Amino acid sequence: MDEIHIVFVQEAREQIAALEAGLMDLEQGNRDPETINAIFRAAHTIKGGAGVVEMGAIETFTHSMENALDRVRNGELELTPALITLLLSCCDQLSGLLDAIDAGGSGDEPALETRSNALTTQLKAYLGGEVAAGTAAMPKETAGTVESSGGGKVGTDTWHISLRFGPDVLKQGMDPLAFLRYLLTLGEIAHITTLFDAMPAAAQMDPECCYLGFEIAFRSHADKTAIERVFEFVKDDCELHILPPHSKLDDYLTLIGELPEETMRLGDILVKSGALTQEELEDGLRQQQEAEAEPRAEGEAAPYLGEILVNQQRVQPELIEAAVVKQKQVSEKKAAESRLIRVQSDKLDQLIDLVGELVIAGASANLIAQKSGQTALFEATSILTRLVEDIRDSALQLRMVQIGETFNRFNRVVRDISKEIGKDIELVISGGDTELDKSVVEKIGDPLMHLVRNAMDHGIEPAAVRAAAGKPVKGRLELNAHHDAGSIVIEVADDGGGLNRDRILNKAIERGLVQPGQTLSDQEIINLIFEAGFSTADQVSSLSGRGVGMDVVRKNIQALRGVVDVATEPGRGSRFTIRLPLTLAIIDGFLVGVDAASFVIPLDTVVECLELKQEAVDRHYLNLRGEVLPCVRLRELFEVPGNLPTRENVVVVRIGGQKAGIVVDQLLGEFQTVIKPLANIFRNLRGIGGSTILGSGEVALILDVQALTGIAVRRETEQFTAAGALR
Amino acid sequence: METTDGPKPFASARRLSIEQDLTIYNAEALKEQLLESLGATQVLELDLSRVAEIDTAGVQLLILAKRESLRQGRTLCIVAHSPAVRETIDFFNVAAYFGDPLVIQAREAD
Amino acid sequence: MKTIMLVDDSATILLSISNILSKSGYAVEKAASADEGLTKFKANVKVDLLITDLNMPGMNGIDFIKEVRKLPSYKFMPILFLTTESQQSKRVEAKAAGASGWLVKPATADELLNTIKLVLR
Repeated sequence: MDEIHIVFVQEAREQIAALEAGLMDLEQGNRDPETINAIFRAAHTIKGGAGVVEMGAIETFTHSMENALDRVRNGELELTPALITLLLSCCDQLSGLLDAIDAGGSGDEPALETRSNALTTQLKAYLGGEVAAGTAAMPKETAGTVESSGGGKVGTDTWHISLRFGPDVLKQGMDPLAFLRYLLTLGEIAHITTLFDAMPAAAQMDPECCYLGFEIAFRSHADKTAIERVFEFVKDDCELHILPPHSKLDDYLTLIGELPEETMRLGDILVKSGALTQEELEDGLRQQQEAEAEPRAEGEAAPYLGEILVNQQRVQPELIEAAVVKQKQVSEKKAAESRLIRVQSDKLDQLIDLVGELVIAGASANLIAQKSGQTALFEATSILTRLVEDIRDSALQLRMVQIGETFNRFNRVVRDISKEIGKDIELVISGGDTELDKSVVEKIGDPLMHLVRNAMDHGIEPAAVRAAAGKPVKGRLELNAHHDAGSIVIEVADDGGGLNRDRILNKAIERGLVQPGQTLSDQEIINLIFEAGFSTADQVSSLSGRGVGMDVVRKNIQALRGVVDVATEPGRGSRFTIRLPLTLAIIDGFLVGVDAASFVIPLDTVVECLELKQEAVDRHYLNLRGEVLPCVRLRELFEVPGNLPTRENVVVVRIGGQKAGIVVDQLLGEFQTVIKPLANIFRNLRGIGGSTILGSGEVALILDVQALTGIAVRRETEQFTAAGALR
Repeated sequence: METTDGPKPFASARRLSIEQDLTIYNAEALKEQLLESLGATQVLELDLSRVAEIDTAGVQLLILAKRESLRQGRTLCIVAHSPAVRETIDFFNVAAYFGDPLVIQAREAD
Repeated sequence: MKTIMLVDDSATILLSISNILSKSGYAVEKAASADEGLTKFKANVKVDLLITDLNMPGMNGIDFIKEVRKLPSYKFMPILFLTTESQQSKRVEAKAAGASGWLVKPATADELLNTIKLVLR
């Protein structure tokens, strides 16, 4: 897709979101005219954009939506729940059309077209006797020739254009000169007479008013419509008469009669401009006088040029009427978008990449400076490092987007699912202005969707159950986001029945996830829902029964270097908490070494570093001040060759409330680093989350602490269980 | 805009040299200037050689000044045109009005 | 080089029209809202023609035109507003507010350029 299509699709999607949001608002009973206007505008913008990028299917479809919304806006059409639902379906259809365009189509694929037509038909049913848009105001001139009251055709082969500009034409930003010059693009001005009879005496003359008129003989092959179009903008307040070549003499006479200037003077002008010969003029005037001498039949109007004359007076009352139309002052929030610049995201990605390289190069320079022992150099690189950090922060800030848009999508989801499953559920959103990296936002939608569906399906009880428990019948679902110490926390909370500890345990035993008789804390039992293939619902509904379990949610969130937790209280509801890093691109790491290999541990997971005392460590756990700390040896895990150093170290990490020790050879210190995604070949490597390039040019692997902790804890548990079984 | 008493074809002529654009944006000021200058002399020579731009409002003002001169029995003539002025006056076909006072007087008498 | 200010809240329209204009040798000033446009006008940027949408969030196009016309440097500048077939009544209202003419969306590049040529001083 080229840029314009990408911009269009992106903008259209935003407008659809606005449309949906507005419709939902209206469904709640809001009838704020501004909301209605906003959704009309959204449809209007999509239609306009579609027209520009020549997406006919979307343009036509949106046009019928716009028509309906226009009627709603004008109070001619009532916004019933059924109509709202229909309009929401139209939004879905629009999204579908945009998807088709995204996929390289045009939106007029048969399946889409059929659906578009079906929806359009439904919309038209609301419109009833539809007024064809745009044709109402302007009656088209009839094609037939108007019978002239007599007189032969004149010999001239030029058009005659008679123009008297309105006084305000200059104040409306127009210059008659520009219009007349434009005429030259259609033909040749054979003769022009400038008239200034309308100009008042010097004292009264307003130099900002236009008093000029023109009689023009115009030689052109253009048709009348084309010539008229030149004066389209001024015709409302100027007097314009256009006579085609070889018009009837009477037409000229009528024209002369209608013009403000004196007959003889006009006659002269017409003769001079070549429109009429002197003979034709005299002949015509004589005939006219004779005709006027005879009594005119009752009701017969004076010779009338009908189709040819554009009579401007008729339009005048409209102008006045419109001028007094009171401008409704709408207090709208300042167009927040006004100060935004649209930048293609790949340009940003490129910038972030470069900043990443800069960070690495900076770190390298800093290391060398440190080693060199030159104070001045070290000071200089320190300043550089600080600036680079600032640049990094600013660059990352550029990619930050508000989560609100993602959240707002759930209004629609919750509405639709509520209807489908017959539960009355209210969605409460807070912290929509919390910002996070665009790449994270893009990937958080699916896990959130699953949690929301899950909460609605399994969390919130049916109305009867709620009523029996003395709770409000209306269920409540919360989506909330906030920042917390370098990460963003997203919560999905419901006020349902909470997770049933016993049922989870039973199911876990049933599934073989837990041994009967195994002692687990309540939290451990609750966390079992994140294990693969776990489903607590006795009845699998169409919503959650898609084979996507909470394990997938956790996996998706972990892929974002995030963690998900759940807190639950029987009868009061559950709260899923997702904690994500603000950005995926750069982390503060802690560099460790095992033999010649280097690894990076995300600094935010590091609790402390200790020297490992050999006697304190069992095979998979060590005694940390009396606490059992599951441990994992990187040397073993990654099968790093080489001899054990004299002294090993352990880095204590904590993630998701779980502590573990990572046993390494050397502690190399804090290190800011750019994450490079791992090639596909390493995807299945457990315990590695990415790679990075060190200042020295070496590659270091970034540890996936969550996975490592998992490994450590499991081993420790196995060992513990095995030990217990032996007893 | 300046008025000078330099060399001139008419003995009692004053010369008005217009420096700025003869456009609507200057129309108010120009009107005043033209009528004042005209009122101060029997013969006003307009030097428009340095007028970069002229529009309908500008032409209209020149016409006003000319008509006013005729009404008051004075003489106004354009002694120098910039290309823009000449082209526009030709386009409107009003050169004769400025260039040949006799013809115009005859017409005005209609 | 003539400068055209383009005001529309639709990025699609802004981009497409400015593409056409730039290719045809016009300098283009873009604004995504009336407020933004007005700020530019108040900073006295050189503009020979204003093309503006009518129905925009924030200040609407009609009020915008009225405000622009109050500024001495732009009192007589040609102003075209973007309209659709279905907004005939808006034309009258916009002209009363000081607009010179209109462009019917979606306009072809030729229609656009011809209309600009028509009103540009």
